[in-house]
Amino acid sequence: MTTALLIGLIAGIGILDERIFGATLFGRPLVLSVLVGVVLGHPVEGIIIGAQLELVWMGLAGIGGSTPPDWVTGGVIGTTLAILSGEGVGVALAIAVPVAVLAQSLGVLVRIINLHFANRADHFAMRGDFRGVTVMMWIPPILFFLSTFIPAFLATLLGAGRIEGFMNATPSWIIDGLTVAGNLLPAVGFALLLDILYSRRTAVFAVLGFLIAAYAGIDITGVALIGACIAIILTLFMQRDGAATKKSSGVDNLTEGEIVYD
Amino acid sequence: MTERALDQKTLRSVFWRSFALQGAFNYERMQNLGYAYAMIPVLRKLYTTEQQRSEALQRHLTFFNTTPAVSPAIMGVSAAMEEQNARDPENFDTGSINAVKAALMAPAAGIGDSLFWGTFRVIAAGIGISLASQGNILGPILFLLLYNIPHIAVRYFGLRYGYRFGTESLQKMAAAGTMDTVMSIANIIGMMVVGAMVATLLHITTPLTFGMSGAEVEIQAILDQMFPALLPLLATIGVFILIRRKVSVTRITLGVLVVGILLHILHIL
Repeated sequence: MTTALLIGLIAGIGILDERIFGATLFGRPLVLSVLVGVVLGHPVEGIIIGAQLELVWMGLAGIGGSTPPDWVTGGVIGTTLAILSGEGVGVALAIAVPVAVLAQSLGVLVRIINLHFANRADHFAMRGDFRGVTVMMWIPPILFFLSTFIPAFLATLLGAGRIEGFMNATPSWIIDGLTVAGNLLPAVGFALLLDILYSRRTAVFAVLGFLIAAYAGIDITGVALIGACIAIILTLFMQRDGAATKKSSGVDNLTEGEIVYD
Repeated sequence: MTERALDQKTLRSVFWRSFALQGAFNYERMQNLGYAYAMIPVLRKLYTTEQQRSEALQRHLTFFNTTPAVSPAIMGVSAAMEEQNARDPENFDTGSINAVKAALMAPAAGIGDSLFWGTFRVIAAGIGISLASQGNILGPILFLLLYNIPHIAVRYFGLRYGYRFGTESLQKMAAAGTMDTVMSIANIIGMMVVGAMVATLLHITTPLTFGMSGAEVEIQAILDQMFPALLPLLATIGVFILIRRKVSVTRITLGVLVVGILLHILHIL
């Protein structure tokens, strides 16, 4: 029981690394597996398993708002069950990889539930309530903590056999459906951003940015740099033309007047 | 001389709060709550009325997403812009604060992701793994040190220089009357970046196929050739139209969730 609690704590705090501790990487398998090893009295095995898991998952990172397989839950459970069963690195990998994929949907779920707190934060923001916004900021980390604490705690209590059975029992359309919905949701974020920046005069630039990225395959940094060049070129030319026509016609160009942030 | 309203203590507070950037990460506006939370010390210092605080908080609760390590630099620029707004609200367009955030976050993420995830982490992990696979405790320790020395330095100096660069260039611009020009440049870049984000960061594909003279034809493959990222574009335009029609964001989000799961069950997505 104490062991299960400690293992749960390692997973719970581990997931918070990329949440509230600034991604200092103590939540990576290379570090967490060592802690698991220490708790279970086999530190050296923990270090070695951690190295293997890190090698497998080195390519995983939460880039661009995507939710990768949950290496925290996967790694902690895999290491724990491998050490407890005395089977070593091979078993650790065999358990860790599928568990990480399954646990990912818990992470997806928390990120969906967090929409609720983001909306509540909007209401507090309308009243200029710093405290309310702060409280809404600090509830989701508790959910993230639980999303890895509970599986790791239960897995340690129950042992390897039952975990496998549970994973096979979860219908795949739930997991896949959540992933698809999770992939759709950023569209809302982009549309909201577009809503803030939108003005009829500059709408064409959003289309241009899209087309450059979609057809030419240039990444976002490249598009931003191209955008900077286009904006500077336009401004330089319009400024010259604008200076000549400014008084007479009040030309509707980019340098004159405000951009309408409506 | 440039005058600065924000003291060391306020900036230090932003520095520590920036670590919690992804604490309330959500699919709709991603790091928005974390960003607003980190900006609170600045807003508290600069604004006193409920009206000002409310506007500023709402401003920073909009979509935000970048590599966490480089976020303090953008917060520094935002702090400088908020300061300029507090000093001279009549001549400052607050919309530009978010335009600049939007223009900065993607390039910052591009640099940050390749620098931190792609370079520092891979180097640190390579050295850490090679030691740890022999059971050496120095493996994980070196891994953490090698990664975090540059990481923390970028956070610390990013915030300082972001703020300093922001205040100095803003005050120069205000004096020269070039603010509008720069803001319209930022707006154009922001718009292009949002367009590019739709094309690259939204992963919506269809598994639909149709039979043609006995052969299975994948619709996604045709789309990729004729109009890549069409589905992400349609999804974004659809949501955008709903937002413009003042449909509440909560409803839209729930709708997207339900539609997403339904379309998956129907094998359309």
